Amino acid sequence: MTTNACERIALADLTDYAAGELAEADAAAIEEHVFSCPDCAARAAQFDALVRAIPASVRSAEIGGFITDAVLNRLARDGVRVRTFVLSPGAMVPCAVWDDDELMALRLRGDFSNAGEVTLSQSVGGTEVSRTTGEVHGGSHGEVIYAISAAWVRQLPVVDVDVRLTAHDRGQERAIASYRLVHGGSLQRSS
Amino acid sequence: MPDAHATLADASDETLALRIAGSVAGSTDDEEAELYRRFAPRVRLYGRRHLRNDAAADDLAQDVLLLTIGRLRAGEVRKPEEIGSFILGTSRMMAHSERRVTRRREALAARFMQTTEDTAPSSLSSLDVPRLAACLRALAERDRLVVLLTFYAEREAPRIAEDLGVSSGAVRAIRHRAMTRLRDCVLGEPSPANRQDPQP
Repeated sequence: MTTNACERIALADLTDYAAGELAEADAAAIEEHVFSCPDCAARAAQFDALVRAIPASVRSAEIGGFITDAVLNRLARDGVRVRTFVLSPGAMVPCAVWDDDELMALRLRGDFSNAGEVTLSQSVGGTEVSRTTGEVHGGSHGEVIYAISAAWVRQLPVVDVDVRLTAHDRGQERAIASYRLVHGGSLQRSS
Repeated sequence: MPDAHATLADASDETLALRIAGSVAGSTDDEEAELYRRFAPRVRLYGRRHLRNDAAADDLAQDVLLLTIGRLRAGEVRKPEEIGSFILGTSRMMAHSERRVTRRREALAARFMQTTEDTAPSSLSSLDVPRLAACLRALAERDRLVVLLTFYAEREAPRIAEDLGVSSGAVRAIRHRAMTRLRDCVLGEPSPANRQDPQP
């Protein structure tokens, strides 16, 4: 770990600065200091490199989990190939990814009323292979979006994947819905 | 007082500027390269915030420092000992001008052609993107979503707060915590679990 002599600018301020959410006067004060302090300039540059790398990292489509339409829209604008499946409660959906797909997005519909957060579990042959807990946000409109790396899906054998959503609200658990993905393997486009 | 004999790495910004000031072209190449190395990241940081575009920020860093070095050589920087202030002032001036040009260009583009998003910035080669992806995956779901919404989907805190059903202050607190963990993970610094971060 590197220790800098001057740490006048807190990481929280750099974060807000990078997000464009600092008041003008505060941003100007940071700029004045960064242009005169090599230690803080180095920290700021290091942090800036981190922020700048986030889009490239997300575009690599190796980041799954609960996302929102805002993230999906940006992925689409960036040309990431997303295979989307819309699943109603109890649905059994043939599911496959093409060899050039980069991300699989599951739009999982259900009754999320009063749910603060949800847990998504994926099981293969009755054995749970993953479990993720995320927020149910205001813009959910009766569905959550869960992203999975298409590369990971391609590695699966031909198998049924059971997806189960459970809601959590003030310590109470409630099953929202189950869905079945009938995974048919990876599809190749004919040239 | 600047040390005329300091090595490049040890020389202060002021010393570098004074050496370049009034020099003959080609005689202070090393000092100019060092000045560029030190200040380009700062101008880029400034440019990213004010131009909201990585490629434009890279261009700004080049333009500002070329102009600065030219002015120094020509003896046109009144106080070389305050070179940081000069570069910041030049950055402000050129970014302002760039914003005007960009607005004009965007207005024309909207009328006559479709524009495309800028590509990944050139200066990321040193950051390990797969490692960053792994660190993003390691964040808690909510933390990761806030980072993605802020720095990828470019949503502001009040909008994220509305979507997540929390306050703007909570979004900022989550973001601070997430970025601290992300930075520590990428740099291989202390485990997030061992840090005493404020909870939103």
